[in-house]
Amino acid sequence: MKKLILLVFGLCMAVVVAACSGEEASSGNKNEVSMWVHTSNETAEGKEMQSLIDQFNEENEEGYTAKIEFIPRSGSGGGYEDKINAALTTDTLPDVLTLDGPNTAAYAEAGMIAPIGDYISNKDDLLPSIIQQGTYNDELYAVGYSESGVGIFYNKQMLEDAGVDLATLPTVEEPWDWNEFMDLNETLVKEYDQPAIDMGLKDQSEWLMYAFTPFLWSQGGSIVSEDGTKATGFFNDENSVKTMSFIQEMVEKGYTTKTPVEKGFQTGKYPMMMTGSWTIAEMKSSYPDVNYGVMPYPTSPDTNELVSPSGSWQYAMSATTDKEEAAAALIDFLTQTEALTKISLANSVLPAATSVIEEIRGEVSPQMQVLIDQNAKSAHARPVLPGYPKVSRTFQETISDVTYFEENQDIQKLLNTKSSQIDKALQ
Amino acid sequence: MSKPVKRIIEYSFLTLLASIFIFPMIWMIASSMKPEGDIYVDMGTIQSFFPSINPSEWFQTYQALFERFDVLKYVFNSVMYAVIVTAGSIVVNAMAGYAFAKFNFTGKKFLFGLLLSLLIVPMETLIITQFTVAHELGILNTRMAVVLPMLANMLFIYLFRNFFKAVPDEIIESVQLDGANYWTIFWKIILPMSKPAIATVGTLSFIASWNDYLWPLMVLTDTEKFPLQVAITNINSTPPVYTNQVMAILTLSTIPLIIVYIVAQKYLLQGLGGSGTGIK
Amino acid sequence: MKKLNSSMNLPAYLFLSPALVLMGLFLIIPALMAIYYAFTDYYLLTPDNKQFVGLDNFIEIFKDPIFLQSLKNIVLFVVCVIPIQIGAALGLALLINKNRRGNIFFKIAYFAPVVLSLVVISVLWLYLLNPSEGLINVLLEKVGIEAQPFLSSPKQALYTIVFVSAWQGAGYQMLIFLAGLQNIPSSVYEASKIDGANKWQNFIHITLPLLRPTTLLIMITTFIAAFKLIIQPMVMTQGGPMNSTMTPVYYIYQSGFSDRLIGYSSAMTVVFGIVIGLVTIVQNKLSKGDDGS
Repeated sequence: MKKLILLVFGLCMAVVVAACSGEEASSGNKNEVSMWVHTSNETAEGKEMQSLIDQFNEENEEGYTAKIEFIPRSGSGGGYEDKINAALTTDTLPDVLTLDGPNTAAYAEAGMIAPIGDYISNKDDLLPSIIQQGTYNDELYAVGYSESGVGIFYNKQMLEDAGVDLATLPTVEEPWDWNEFMDLNETLVKEYDQPAIDMGLKDQSEWLMYAFTPFLWSQGGSIVSEDGTKATGFFNDENSVKTMSFIQEMVEKGYTTKTPVEKGFQTGKYPMMMTGSWTIAEMKSSYPDVNYGVMPYPTSPDTNELVSPSGSWQYAMSATTDKEEAAAALIDFLTQTEALTKISLANSVLPAATSVIEEIRGEVSPQMQVLIDQNAKSAHARPVLPGYPKVSRTFQETISDVTYFEENQDIQKLLNTKSSQIDKALQ
Repeated sequence: MSKPVKRIIEYSFLTLLASIFIFPMIWMIASSMKPEGDIYVDMGTIQSFFPSINPSEWFQTYQALFERFDVLKYVFNSVMYAVIVTAGSIVVNAMAGYAFAKFNFTGKKFLFGLLLSLLIVPMETLIITQFTVAHELGILNTRMAVVLPMLANMLFIYLFRNFFKAVPDEIIESVQLDGANYWTIFWKIILPMSKPAIATVGTLSFIASWNDYLWPLMVLTDTEKFPLQVAITNINSTPPVYTNQVMAILTLSTIPLIIVYIVAQKYLLQGLGGSGTGIK
Repeated sequence: MKKLNSSMNLPAYLFLSPALVLMGLFLIIPALMAIYYAFTDYYLLTPDNKQFVGLDNFIEIFKDPIFLQSLKNIVLFVVCVIPIQIGAALGLALLINKNRRGNIFFKIAYFAPVVLSLVVISVLWLYLLNPSEGLINVLLEKVGIEAQPFLSSPKQALYTIVFVSAWQGAGYQMLIFLAGLQNIPSSVYEASKIDGANKWQNFIHITLPLLRPTTLLIMITTFIAAFKLIIQPMVMTQGGPMNSTMTPVYYIYQSGFSDRLIGYSSAMTVVFGIVIGLVTIVQNKLSKGDDGS
């Protein structure tokens, strides 16, 4: 019995002791900024960030320093975002944090992050899409430090074997419209008797929002009204119906498939793939034998306007920080041409600023160059809405539903339903 | 039917069944021992279950993995968490199970029902409030925070309770007459008789702790304390994702679980029916 | 020892205390907080600004087609998965509960899916189940059955998940069954051997009845775990196609952490908790279970 009481008592003590030794005292140093990033210090991106912070600590003239903490995310941001949310409930946010583009509006509206436009000296140099995704209610809240882009990757050999003259393929200056693009698909399907392109329709994830909204924008449509209050009248208008019909046709005619085999393009099964800049690094390291090129997004035949996806992680300043000057100095430092160039090269991602595009020209592969050029010309940020997650998910469901062409022949009806669902999320 | 024939049929059946369950593991190990590109080229052929034809490529993935990540540090952390959770979970849940099995006390039925009904709660949705509690306790960014919430588990309490109930009261009474107190009975008599239950709870606790990703990530800020799952998630979601490296780290992370299981299942066969407990 | 004796309260609660304290802190308090949030408009990003909204969330829930669909899905899932998974688990446990040469290999094999990462499982099954290329369809076509869409069909996706979940989870219950089998004294079998009983009679008259506490434990816990299904649809179908594999916990998770509507998602947790609670009680009554004493 004594032992039992002792054991219970011991356990309680252990908790108390742990409690006392817990939580590092937050640094009282007025000049040291704490920063959270969503990556690990073992990735190329993380390593570069650490070295940038080291540089900042050495060079800053006001004597500001920074301490970076790495919180590796899972998938599209889970883990890291959960941690941010939890820190919010306990008022323990860091001074500077990274956030994904679509979170800008929600974080700004909730008063989690503070406007930083006045502190960013390099603002005019940043790409319009970067400004677009970081701006809420006409104020700049966050600055993306890289860009991303998507193109149509094609297997040169397979296209040539199908009798396609590579010289006739579209360029960023002269993109193809959907009809021309579908003709190419038709040729390839006839030759290989299987889907011509993997458009990533397998996952119902942010990808569908990110990669398929440009079709809608090229057509001149949009998901929500300009003031972001409703979708009915927009997401179910003629433009939306036309865009969704195009996507449905791609599936119905067998040009693409909602159940692609994994890595079909990389292994020479599918001649084309709609994918992003990250695939370039993958091709180089794991599939060096595949000779491939990249062409820009197909455009709507009605407008012939090139629109391409964009979006990235950004730096922002916590609204609760009491080290505003120091935090702002850090973000300003990190968004200068030099820092942005280093991150772009280390992580092989697209540059976020015009000056960086010039800096790295010639240092990147021709495929990457296509995406960089497309990005500079036509990148379009995703809508900046506080209710973004639900809007995005409804859009993803719409794309996914549309690919079930047998069940969803009536696109207008489907879009009416989805529009009213989005309306509810916007309230 | 002659005995050898019967045997052959028995083994063929067991092997067929085994292959249905084990093929992903074979694929995982084989995939970790070949270049990234080959994994998908081989898909759908029998070659996908064999490592690269060229033995010099077998460990290249592992080499690359160890260069990119400090795997050993993560493994060490994970092993430490899992061992503490396992030991703690066995003691804490066995104590509770013992109380439910061998004591009559006020509120027993109610408490058992209440705890059982708590199984309903989907833990996935409580993580923010659990974090708030950990914050109030002041244990954030300590290893304690990783371990404590994993200890008490109603399923395990229930399992221990069932097991202890099968221990005849006479044994307890006889040692009680010898002047042993409750703790001695529990620690010296009951627990040693319950090796299968301990082995089961131990294995399952170890696995649960080993696979936990989100909670450690939330309560720890110091990279030095992160468990292996954080590294796995990181490798699996930082583009470009190298499938062979993902499979390599998954293989490494599966080995300890298999070892624990092999050790545990030896004790699984030493139940009341087996030898060593003196009850027949 | 058997007498109801108030002097046993102290030692009993001392033995219980570590578990009670830990569960209280990390389970009961968070659960109570969730119940409180269910009556507020708690938005994840503005934790300091919660308004009491009465039953508003609950009224919304019953108008939410996705939640209602998820309830329908999960009932169907549970009804299908329970017999398959528990049957498989018991079968496997009986198969390997024997001394034979090389048994260790089979033991590891049957348990393998439990310790395997879901990444591996989802990659492989998605490949095997691919409508045009997957091995399973290739095999089906060999025996003259038309290729099936499986996960990409709104009609078949849920049943496919039933199968994969049972395949993956059976080893877990197998282990618990094994422990339960060990709890049956071998003397009982020896006695019946003398009586000339065959294996099947042994199974029906000895194993099953003596395994009853274990079976009940497994029934209840597997049942509840099945109701809480989230991971498999999350990694394999993301709840689709057309919400056919959306489950309540997955939807609660999405509403809470993606949409950040903690109030609404807590209300769904409460409703869902009540639903499982009721079903569990009914199930318990039906099986005239043991009474917890």
